[in-house]
Formats: sequence, C-alpha cells, structure tokens
Amino acid sequence: MKSQISNAMLLAIIINIVYAKAIGVTQGIIARQAGGDMWIVTIFSTLFGLLIMSLTVLIIKRTPEKNILEQTKLLVGKWGEKLIALLMFTFFLGAYGGIMITVVYHLMDYFLPEVPTYIFVALVTIVGVYGIMKGVEVIARLAVLGVFSIIVLNILLLLGSLDYFEIESFLPVLRNGFFNAVEVTKHHNADWAMATLMVAIILPMVKQKEKWMKYSTKALILGGGFILMWPILEVGVLSPEVAGQYIVACMQMARSAEIGLFVHRYELIMVIFFAISALIQVMMCLLCASISAKHIIGGNNLNFLLIPVAVILGVFGYWVVNDHIRAMDLLTYYWPRVAMPITFAVPIIVFLLGFIFKKKLTKGNLDAPS
Amino acid sequence: MKKIMICCTFLSLLFCVGLFGKEEIDDLAMVMAVGVDKAENGEIWVTAQVVRPADARGDAGVGGTEGDPIWTATGEGKTIFEAIRNLARFSSRRIYWGHNAIIVISEEVARDGIVDVIDFFTRNNELRMRTWIVVTEKKANEVVAVKTGLEVIPGRSLDRLFRYSPIVAEAPRTDVMSLSASYIGEHVHPYLAMVRLRSRGVDPENPKEFGSIPQIELSGIAVFRDDQMVGRLNPRESRGFLWFVEDVGNAIIPLSCPDEEGPVSVELRDNRFQLTPNYKNGKVSFIATVETVTDLVELGCPTELEHSEVMEDLESDVAAYIKKDIEVMLEKVQKEFKVDAIKLGRAFQAKYPQYWNDLKDDWDEIFPEIEVKVNVKVELNNPQLLENPTRKGKD
Amino acid sequence: MDLTKQLEQDVFVRLKQNLDEIEKLLGNSSDVVKRDFFIMNNNTFEATLIYIDGLVDETKIEETVLAPLLNNNRDLQFLSELTKSEEIATALTKKLLLIPSINKVSTFQDVINELLAGNTVLFVDHCVQCFVLATQGWDTRGIEEPQSDTVIRGPRDGFVESIRANTALVRRRIRDPMFRLQSLQIGKRSKTDVAIAYIDGVVREGLVDEVLERLNRIKIDAILESNYIEEFIDDAPNSPFMTVQGSERPDKIAAGIYEGKVAIFVDNTPFVLLVPTHFWTFLNTSDDYYTQYWMGSFFRFIRYIAFIISLTLPSLFVMLVSFHQEMIPTPLAITIAAGREIVPLPILLEALIMELAFELMREAGLRMPKQIGQAVSIVGSLIIGQAAVEAGLVSPIMVIVVATTGIASFAIPNYFASVSIRLIRFPILIASGVLGLLGFATIFVVVLIHALSLRSFGEPYLAPVFPFSSSDQKDTLFRAPWWAKEKRPADVKDEPERESENQKPSPEK
Repeated sequence: MKSQISNAMLLAIIINIVYAKAIGVTQGIIARQAGGDMWIVTIFSTLFGLLIMSLTVLIIKRTPEKNILEQTKLLVGKWGEKLIALLMFTFFLGAYGGIMITVVYHLMDYFLPEVPTYIFVALVTIVGVYGIMKGVEVIARLAVLGVFSIIVLNILLLLGSLDYFEIESFLPVLRNGFFNAVEVTKHHNADWAMATLMVAIILPMVKQKEKWMKYSTKALILGGGFILMWPILEVGVLSPEVAGQYIVACMQMARSAEIGLFVHRYELIMVIFFAISALIQVMMCLLCASISAKHIIGGNNLNFLLIPVAVILGVFGYWVVNDHIRAMDLLTYYWPRVAMPITFAVPIIVFLLGFIFKKKLTKGNLDAPS
Repeated sequence: MKKIMICCTFLSLLFCVGLFGKEEIDDLAMVMAVGVDKAENGEIWVTAQVVRPADARGDAGVGGTEGDPIWTATGEGKTIFEAIRNLARFSSRRIYWGHNAIIVISEEVARDGIVDVIDFFTRNNELRMRTWIVVTEKKANEVVAVKTGLEVIPGRSLDRLFRYSPIVAEAPRTDVMSLSASYIGEHVHPYLAMVRLRSRGVDPENPKEFGSIPQIELSGIAVFRDDQMVGRLNPRESRGFLWFVEDVGNAIIPLSCPDEEGPVSVELRDNRFQLTPNYKNGKVSFIATVETVTDLVELGCPTELEHSEVMEDLESDVAAYIKKDIEVMLEKVQKEFKVDAIKLGRAFQAKYPQYWNDLKDDWDEIFPEIEVKVNVKVELNNPQLLENPTRKGKD
Repeated sequence: MDLTKQLEQDVFVRLKQNLDEIEKLLGNSSDVVKRDFFIMNNNTFEATLIYIDGLVDETKIEETVLAPLLNNNRDLQFLSELTKSEEIATALTKKLLLIPSINKVSTFQDVINELLAGNTVLFVDHCVQCFVLATQGWDTRGIEEPQSDTVIRGPRDGFVESIRANTALVRRRIRDPMFRLQSLQIGKRSKTDVAIAYIDGVVREGLVDEVLERLNRIKIDAILESNYIEEFIDDAPNSPFMTVQGSERPDKIAAGIYEGKVAIFVDNTPFVLLVPTHFWTFLNTSDDYYTQYWMGSFFRFIRYIAFIISLTLPSLFVMLVSFHQEMIPTPLAITIAAGREIVPLPILLEALIMELAFELMREAGLRMPKQIGQAVSIVGSLIIGQAAVEAGLVSPIMVIVVATTGIASFAIPNYFASVSIRLIRFPILIASGVLGLLGFATIFVVVLIHALSLRSFGEPYLAPVFPFSSSDQKDTLFRAPWWAKEKRPADVKDEPERESENQKPSPEK
C-alpha cells in the first residue's frame, strides 16, 4: 500500500465513519426498541466495538504489511481470500445503503423535499469517488476537519438544547430490561462494524504500527463519547418516545434546539457541520468496497474498479432510499442480521485461522520485509 | 485530468436538471399565526395570519404603501390538510409555515380531539418544533385576526407574549415539541396554555371608551386526556399546576397586610419543587415540597413594625397561598378531570420501576385516589431598596 | 553560416575581423557604440571598445577605461617593448585598466552575451582574447515602498526591478555565512537572470535540488515576470489556488528563508517567489509579526473571518433566501422579503449581476489613473448602491451582502489570493442557487478535497492545520508572542530551536 497516513488521522477517520449514522438514524431505531435506555445501549455497543476493534488490530499486527484479505490469502489461499472479500463487499454494500439513508434523509426530508432522490445519491457518490481518487491521505486530512466540526456541532447542540433538558426522563434506568438493551446494541454494533472492518483493510497504510492499538481504541472511546452525547440529549430533551417517532432522530433534536430568538433553527448548522463526517463515511465505504472487489476479482488496478463499484453501490443506495418504508424496514430488521454475522465472523475466523496456520504467518512476514 | 473534466461535466449537467423546489422568499406567504376552528357544519376552518412584508417593513427602499402589515384568510375543509390546501385558493403566494409562531386551537376543536393537529404540524418539515400552541375558549380565528400588541405583526407579539410569560406565571409555555412528547409518551397527558380576548387596549383616538380594543391575554391551562380536552384551569389553579410541570419563575403573590387593611405583594425569586412518591401497603402517596425564596415588592399599609417582623408574619401567608393554589388544582385535576397531566406517574415510575409495571394499567383508576401532601417553605427576607417600611411621618 | 555556428567561433586575432563579425551578429543596431582608439597613442596598439548605449555607465567607462588608456603622461616605455599578444593582455589587466572587474573571453557567444548584459567589450588588435569590463549601469527605479502588501509598522523598502539590488536587500537581512545564492539564466532569448536563495542547513533536505530541477526544466524563449516561472514550477497548474507565493517585501522573503523556504529572484520584476507555500500565509501579513501579539492575533483573526465571508457569504445568502427560508430568523426574513418585493430578478441572477457589477467596478478602478479611478468607484457605488435600489432593480440586502463580501475580499492581504478566492466563490454561488444546501455542500466539499490534496513542493498545502501539527499552531490561527515561539516550523531541517528558552520578560526577582 502506497499512501501512508498517521495514527492521528486513523483516529479521525474512525470517529468520522461512525458518527453521522450513529447519532441520528441508528438512535431512532434504538429509541423505538429500547426506549429510555438508548444511551445505555450506546455505551454497551461502544464496548462491543472496543472488543472487536482490539481483535482486528491484533490480527493485522501479525502481518503489518498486509490487510486482512491479503492475510487470508496467505493463510488459506486464493479462494479463502475471495470468500472473505465477498463477505466484506456484501457488508459495505449494505452499509452504503445505511449511509445513504442517513445522508439523503437528512438533506431531502428536511431541506429539499422536492429534489429527486437520484440527485442526492449521485452527487454524494460522485463526491465520494472524487475523494478516493485523491487518495486516502486526503480523506484522512478531511477527517481531521470532520473531527473539528463534530466537536463544534456537539458543543453548539449542547448549548442549544440544555435549557430543555429534563433529568427525570432518564429514570428508571434499564426500564426495558438488561437483555433487551444488549440485544438492541446490534443496530449500533453495525455502525461500529463499519469502523472495525474498515480498519482491517486500511490499517497497513498507517505508519508506526506500535501505536495502532492505542490510537484505534482511543478513537473508539472518543467517538463513542461524541456519539453518546446524542442519545443522552435525545432522552433528556426530546423524550425517547419522540426520538423514536422520527426517522432521523438527530434532526429532530436540531429542530428543537435554539439559542435565544435569533439562532432559532439548528438544522442548517447541524447539516453543515455534519456533512463532512457523512461524506467520509461515503468515501471510506466506497474505498473499502472497491478494495474488497479488487480482491474478489483479483485485479490490481483499484481506480479501474472504482467506477463500477461506485455505480453498484450508488444504484443499491438509490434503491434503498427511494422508499422510506422499505429503507427503514431494511435497516431495522434485515441489516443487523446481515451485518452482525459478518462483523463477528470475519475477524474471529481470520484470527483462528492464524492460530492454525501459524507457520505460514511467520513465513509470510519473512517474505515481505518491511 | 480527463476524469476531472468528466466529473465537472456531469456535475454541471446535474445542476441543470436541479432547479427544483426553488421558491424565493418573496414567493411565499409567511404564516405568522394560525387558528383552527370548527364550523357549524362540522368542517375544519383554518385561519392563517400572513405577513405582508412590504407593509410590515415599510421603508426598506421600496415604496410600501400604507396598508395592513398582515393579511388574514380562512380555508375550510373536512381535515386540517384539506383546509390548508383550500387556503391556497385565496393566496397568491404559497402558504409557508416556516415562520409560524403560534397555533391557536379553539376549545371546540380541542374537545373533539387534536390528534390531526399534532400530526399535521409535526409531519411538516417547514415547521419549527418550538412553535407555541394554545387553546382559546371561543373562536380561534378571532384571536388570529385581532390586531394586538406592540409589534407590527400580531403573530410576533403572541410569540413574545409566551417568551415573557414567566413574569406572570399563569400559563405554561407549551410548544409543539412538548405537546407531541406528552401525547406520544405513556401515562402522561398533554396540557396546553389558554388565551382569550379581553377588551383592554385603549384606542388613542377615543380614549374615553376605556378598553375598547380586544387584546390577547395568556392565562389558564387546558387539560387533555390523550388528545381530547377535558377541562380548563383558571389562573390561580394554573399557577398551582405550573409547580408540577415547569419553573414558576418570578410570579407575584398578592396578599393583604397582616393586621391592617392594605395590599402586600411578594415576588417569587428562587423556587425549588420536589415530588417524592411513596409506596406503602399497596397505597400510592406523594409529598410535594415547595421551597421558595421571595422578595417583598409591595407593602401598602402604614405599619409601625420593622421589616423583619412584617416578613415573619407574611411568610406563612405566602405559604398558605401557594399551598391553596396547589390543593385546589389537585382537587380539580384528580377528582374532576381524572387525568394525570401533572406527571405523577412518571415520578412514581422513576422511583419504583419494579411496582410500576403492576400499577401502570390501573393508573387511571389509582390517580384520582392518590393522596398528595403539600409542604411549602417560604423564605422572605429581601425588602429591596427600603430599609424601613414606608411610614407616615406626621405623628 | 547560421547563427549558432557564428556564435561558436573563437575571437579572431585581428581587430578588423572581429569588428566585422560583431557587426554581422548584432546588425546595425543604433544603440551599439564602437569607440576606436590607440592605446597610449601608440599606433601599434589599435583597440576598440564596444558597448550598448543605455545599459552601461558611461562615466565609469570614461574614468576607468578610457582615461588610463589614453593618458600620455605616464611612462609608457614598457609598452613599446611588448610584442606578444599575451603580454599585452597581462599588461592591460595588471597595469593599465582601473576597472574593478575584468573577464577574458574568447568566443563570440560570450562576447555577445556580455554585451547584451550591459558590459563593455574591449578588443585589442593582435590579441587572441578580448576583455569584458563590468560596466553595467542603467537607470533603475529607486527603492520605494511596495504597492502591495503595505504595512502600518515595518520596513518600507520594497524590491525593485534589478535582481542584484533585490538579492542585496535580502542579504542585508541575513548575515549568515550559510546563506546561499545560486544563479542561473532562463529564457532562450531573454536570458533572464534567476537566482535562488536559501540558508544551507535550515532549508528542508532535497528542496533546493527540487527547485533547481524544476527551474532547469523550463524551456522558453523569454521570461518577463516571475509569474512565468511560477506557472512552470507550480504543483497544481490547473488549480485556482496558488502554490507559489510572490512578494514585494524583502522582510517577508527573508522571514521565509529563515523558516527553511527557498526564494526565487527573477530579474526585471519586483516580485520574488517563495516556495513551498502554505495557504495560510496568504492570510498573514508582516504586520502580524511587527505589532504586539494580541493585536497581531486579532488582525489575523479578522482576516480569517474575512476569508470565510468572502468565500461563502453570497452563497449562503442565496441558498437561504431561495431554498431554506425557514432558517432565517423571522424578523430578518420579513425584512429580506420586503426588500425583494419589487425586485424582478430571481435571487441567483440578482446576486450574479451584483457580483459582476462589483468586479467591473474593481477592475475599472484599478486600471484607471489614480485620480480617475477614484471617480469611477464613486460613480459606480452611487449607481449600484443608491440608484439601483431605488429603481427596484436590486434589493438593499443584496447590496449589503455583495458589498460586505467585496470588502472582506479586500481584507485578504495578498491581492492574488483574494482574486483566487473570488474565483472559487462563483461555482459555490451558482451551485447553491441551483440546488440549495445540497449544491453548496457538494461544491464546498469538492473544493475542500481539492485544496487538501494540493501540495507545494512536497508540503501539504493546508499544513499545519491539515495535517494537524500541534507544535506549529503557535503561528496559525493566533500569532504567539516571539518569546513563546521557541521552535522553527516542523519541516525545517535541523537546529529547530529558533531562540533560547524562557525569554518571557518578567520583573526582577
């Protein structure tokens, strides 16, 4: 892998890739299924994410020059690689649907209800492709800006809605039961899965492998913290019932926030500051999908595959978002069923494979001197 | 380079197709206030107060002729949506809800149910969630059409009326957000502020007929069961109600002097309200504790006493006054309306989640029987600027 | 015989031949001056001075060349003893000529080059070499205060058109033995002198080679201004962003050299280039560093705001008014609507027309002679600000928006950077007028990605903010006091310490 990014950039990318979808669409689903416990669900899920992330970093650390797909190839050969790559591609294809739901419903439903859906999908995908053509490093730099804007957005929203905060809404804690809360984490886990699987692919591009673990877990904790503010505010200000009422819960948050008489609508502030994060999701998802596709087909040229992959993902995304009901059905009921097995299976399988074929690993490392 | 060119062409093509949803600000009829009424034939009447920018901002470089700053029109239909659609028959511009400040619902409509009002105004992406929503005793269209207040645009004055309402503290600040939250929420019931028209404005050309112009007054609360209004609270009851739902703010409590005739007023400064549920032997009870620090703002009776002595006497009066407010309100809400609009259930659930599951289905039956003990502690120690009460200096 | 072959010839021994050859090469140009004389009135030593009128300092020639050679009063006994041409040459340089710098050249190529560069060539009969006398001297503009990049406090000298004067201005600010100045000539016909300057040991490794390589790659017939060079060595030739900074201020260039950058001097222009360049430097002025640091930081902060306004204000306004009216605070929305009540144009068109009018005014005011320029701006602003609003052609708020944007763009200290920001503004404006927030966000992010992907001589263009370098933040958003800026920027090669520690002034203990 040619482009090299720093660990701090990795941190930024991880925070960004989770944030946009997690604060709004996911929280809405969680609110519907866990009610006032949504913030606890978010914490649980971040812990799950931490676990999988550590596992992923451990896996990649065994062969620091190779991403998870190349490592699989080393362990079990070409067909194993293709199988894992296919799983990953499926995951990112599905994830793209979720991301499109986030981006399009934020913009379309609240701002431009009369603009046709395809324009949103097409523009966002084109910007994504443009970003990838400029390289991972550029995306990573954009992600740094994304983190700044996430922080600004969080602070502004906090200021705008603290007046209406009611601590009573949090009680009782775990009102729908512990196990329900754990089960509902699957929705947010699917977001974290995007981060872990992406890390599995791009980690070899990151400099200073000894700091990988520190930064990726730090990113998870920071990102989890940034996201956690939202369910807490959504419970305290909106009440979980209202948060669950809407498709995009965070926009509802923004719609009800205000500072004084003048700054009375937050939607615009919200979308401006969150756009970068959302676009980084799009870019990284496209990038990971095309890298997976490259491993399925076996070609070498990433740019060659980029456009077809973008078209596939874009068409799929359009199909998903074109119908609100279908989109939410897919995201609520089907997506966790697809995402969860892949999230857990891919790292665990590769991890175990590594134990079985330990010799190949050490040999592979010798073959590729750093 | 070629790729960038292709991207650019594609983008520009998209933009050419993309002139959608473009309605400039001067193509919009900006609704400032809206009223929902019921006609005699059962149809819904929606009255919108639309701002006429040229007259609302006369001299912005363009010649606005002297005219009314607002234009009010009514549309009728079987549903709210249809009525609003029909409004467009009279409007040369698109009816636009983005700047709506207030929704007024007539009591008639409120008693029939306001679920369609909630639905329409939360489903629409133009509306703000912090739009005020109130109930009026008579016709909503009268409230919407009336020219009132200090502002050029009456809708704005209604908006401000709400913003500064804590000064009087006789009505809650209810907006679409809180309405929908309490409508959707389990075991809580909505309540809305009430407005009414009172002839209190003075016509400058005819000052002898004092109070000939109707003004809008904000006071009272409409209590709902689910989406149907079940009754209203008068201003004093409303103040008792407010303790349970939001900050009372700087309310004024009028009293009379301890010994002699004459008015005394205290102003609430720093309020604390606590609701403690108890569950013993299958019986639910509550203790409501009010703690408040007040200022003496008026002492209109000649007295030889020192401030400190007067205040000591007054403290218990204030406490009794507040306690009475709350108790009268509780009586009405519990026994007459039988609706848990004061969120007792929520408080109970928060403290006893384990018992709540058994009780929640019967809560409507339990609620009227709940005993609520009211404790009021008043601290009165600030006479403002004066060191001694205003005394007669003649003897 | 073609020109190259002619030029490659060696100088002849006989004077006559040489003069014929020169005449063939230079033609009958009227400014070529030939002065025949006998050295010391001795008929055996026939000699000719050739120079180009206007490029030489004639007083100098008179005092240091002609006076000593024509002087009869000296003892010239030794001259008559000389017969060999080498001896004449030695005698001339060692005993006769008073001029400080003498070169000997032997091909016509060199002769012509030196002539055209403003030196005087002395041919002596029977001599196999000819002498190049450094007599350059032409009328130059004196050192004046620069027209761009003006400061309230700080040095007032600016670069002039002469490369030597310019390098001297910088050299005076850097009395460091490691200061290096390398010269080269670019331009097949113009033979423009170009010099690069840097401090060895401070400059980033490989940067000098990179700059030299890029300069040497240039094949062009003439260089008239440093922008020619700039466009050839630009990292992003198609980008509206400038990745090479030009400045008229010697202090700015010296500061850049101290930070490990390389300056490129070009003859005949007062604009000296500095590479690598970061975007933020276009928003900085020398004033920031010469005034107290609170002030400096405040000015800088204002300029960042100016940058954001000048980039986005019209787009945001158009976007809000034509798509997202609910986002405008109600009183403002009513005011805007009132202003637009009788305006016949759609808001996007209105904005474009106003922007165009503003650009026209700016351009007209700029090219006119100063006095007329002022009249142009007064008339223009009256027409646009007053009459157009009263006639109902544009709304007053739009005038305010465009004027604010214009003023903001003038607040950006580097004129060319401000123009490039203005160029980027138009696509954003059109996109937000067509697709609202979606268009605005899309184009904005595209511009952002583009800017992020830029590099200037290997340096990320938006550094040190993206990628974020915490140690360099002391001179980005705020200007830290001098005693706090202990390190040079992170990309400087070695000796990162700029100053010793703990220099914050404090009362004696």
